[in-house]
Amino acid sequence: MDSKLKKEKHWKFLKRHLNLLPSSHQKQDPNRLALVFYSILGLSALEYDKIDGYKVHLPWIRRRYQKMKIPESKEYISGFVGSPLVDIPGLNTFSLSNTLFGLIVLITLKDYDFFTTILDHDSISRFVSSCQTINGSFKSSLDPVTGLPSPVDSDDLRFCYIAVAILYLTGCRTMDDFEKFIDVKNLLKYIKEQECTVGGYGKFDEPHSGYTSCALATLSLLNCTEFITNEFKEKTLCWLLQRQVSNEGCMILQDDKNATYDETDNGGFQGRENKFADTCYCFWCLNSLSILTPDWKGLCDTDLVNSYLLDQTQNTIIGGFSKTDEDDPDIYHTYLGIAALKLIDGTLDGPLCMPISSLQEFLNNSG
Amino acid sequence: MSGFDMNNYVDVEPLEIETGLPDEVCPIMYTDEYKQVMSVARRLMQEGEYSERALQLTSKAIALAPAFYTVWNYRYSIVEHLAKESGDVEGYMNKEMDWLDEVTLGNPKNYQIWSYRQALLKIHPAPSVKRELPILQIMIDDDTKNYHVWSYRKWCILFFQDFTNELTYADSLIQRDVYNNSAWTHRMFVMKHTNPSKHEVREEIEYTKKKIEIVPQNVSSWEYLRGLYEVFLDCEYDEETIKFAEKFTDDILKLDITVDKEVSALPNIESSYALEFLADVFAKIPSPENTNNAKKAYTALSLKYDPIRSALWNHKMGQLA
Ligand SMILES: [Zn+2]
Repeated sequence: MDSKLKKEKHWKFLKRHLNLLPSSHQKQDPNRLALVFYSILGLSALEYDKIDGYKVHLPWIRRRYQKMKIPESKEYISGFVGSPLVDIPGLNTFSLSNTLFGLIVLITLKDYDFFTTILDHDSISRFVSSCQTINGSFKSSLDPVTGLPSPVDSDDLRFCYIAVAILYLTGCRTMDDFEKFIDVKNLLKYIKEQECTVGGYGKFDEPHSGYTSCALATLSLLNCTEFITNEFKEKTLCWLLQRQVSNEGCMILQDDKNATYDETDNGGFQGRENKFADTCYCFWCLNSLSILTPDWKGLCDTDLVNSYLLDQTQNTIIGGFSKTDEDDPDIYHTYLGIAALKLIDGTLDGPLCMPISSLQEFLNNSG
Repeated sequence: MSGFDMNNYVDVEPLEIETGLPDEVCPIMYTDEYKQVMSVARRLMQEGEYSERALQLTSKAIALAPAFYTVWNYRYSIVEHLAKESGDVEGYMNKEMDWLDEVTLGNPKNYQIWSYRQALLKIHPAPSVKRELPILQIMIDDDTKNYHVWSYRKWCILFFQDFTNELTYADSLIQRDVYNNSAWTHRMFVMKHTNPSKHEVREEIEYTKKKIEIVPQNVSSWEYLRGLYEVFLDCEYDEETIKFAEKFTDDILKLDITVDKEVSALPNIESSYALEFLADVFAKIPSPENTNNAKKAYTALSLKYDPIRSALWNHKMGQLA
């Protein structure tokens, strides 16, 4: 694999996303920490030797973390905002996803000092706790005026996962730890309601491997995968393995009939039934499998995943990975492609989607 | 944007976006329009101005950065205030839904629109499913497997508790593309919520079999067939359905199949899903003959019909009694 992986090209591609960006990126401005996350984590996972150079940006990233008093209360709430655009003095504009991105970027750049001297555990946990809705799920932001979960946001498994990941990184380990801040029972009930008839998790009975990964990663961080019944575990395992696209045997019979079948997708994973394979779903499916069973590498053909990513969606000219073999590379699929490869070679922590070495060093440092 | 004029905001002191500092990471080359619109929008949000001009500005800001969630929150508050002030909440809410239709048509990939729509319907004094169906139809026509749009459709159906059109609607999409998994799972969603009679379940089974006959190698229709038996019939597979599945497997279970079987000695069959279905059925009803058949089916899948999943088929075999 190593010879086929165009590491230097990817470094270049990732580094470009940390420099001055053209105005076409304005649409991504509200979640700029997402861009930073994908780029820095990509560089770290690909062992970029000069990553320390990005420490000059630490003050900027730290400034995205803010703390404010809750009106008419003695208590504080804190979190990250995605970019200066969203930073409006006096308004609570924290974002759950940008909070997770911010924390992981700081860990990756080894800013442990932030966690001991700046991060306020109580108030950040209060933010996470405020995002939980009555059905047990989470929204990604609060109404800036009322401080209640935003009425215009969706609540779904992505934000459940992000909420639990933030609490994990800020120190929660046992069920008692998590329960101090969120209603775990209600969350588990919500996750269970997202189980689909045919296996996998998704909204209203249509399974989706992205949501499946979020559900399983949440359970894994909460240390309660045993909450899944054996029957559903088996169904989901089967459903996930069926998402690996193949051009052998009867599968090729779909050629020319099924408009979303492409025989060159062989080995890649799809997000749902009868869809093209896609780089990011290689990660979401493999991560889900790795949480369900330690034997996951024996159950699916990881060599074929490697070839799908390296031969089909890796861009060998400008670097980066694209969604399918027909798109231009983008930063999201680039990081998810790298993450899938690194999950296979055993150097990436799936549930937190970051290199094991960074995570371990951080955990050792935070005692 | 009709009637939008930056001159209406000259009295607003812009709240500039911090940019250009040496420690900034991935700075963006903002256009002048972006800087102007956003710095005024930021100030109005900070001051909580609920006005017609603020509403117009949010349209502009949303067009420039649809993911700017705070602006959506702000717009929602403006609408709540102005609707109340106008004395015609229903008319005002309808106007807002019209605006949202326009944004939706111009921005099909933006998923913020769907949760915003849900929020509006929740505060609309007289929400109507009829108002929602046309836009849903257009959006699904445009992208027949769009997960967000289908989710919104299902949310609407539950919100209005109106399942009447749904099987017909799903059928129209299945007729258009029998591989459309969203349409198949929509059927299951409807069935599960409508308490079908045994007769209706039977009809659904017949419907599915007809679709399988059109293309036997289709994961969605086979999963649906299996789902119907699991959810409504306690996995009591009948002889007729077993015979139906066998039609697509060229009677290979009559052959002697072991792991060292020559792959070339196995005939071509029409559907690996049919074979998997049979294996699953046989595995569920333990008898020496069934177990043997299940074993043969898994072995054949592994050898020839779906070899990429050979480890899965072996795993399944290991679970046989
Ligand atoms: Zn993707």
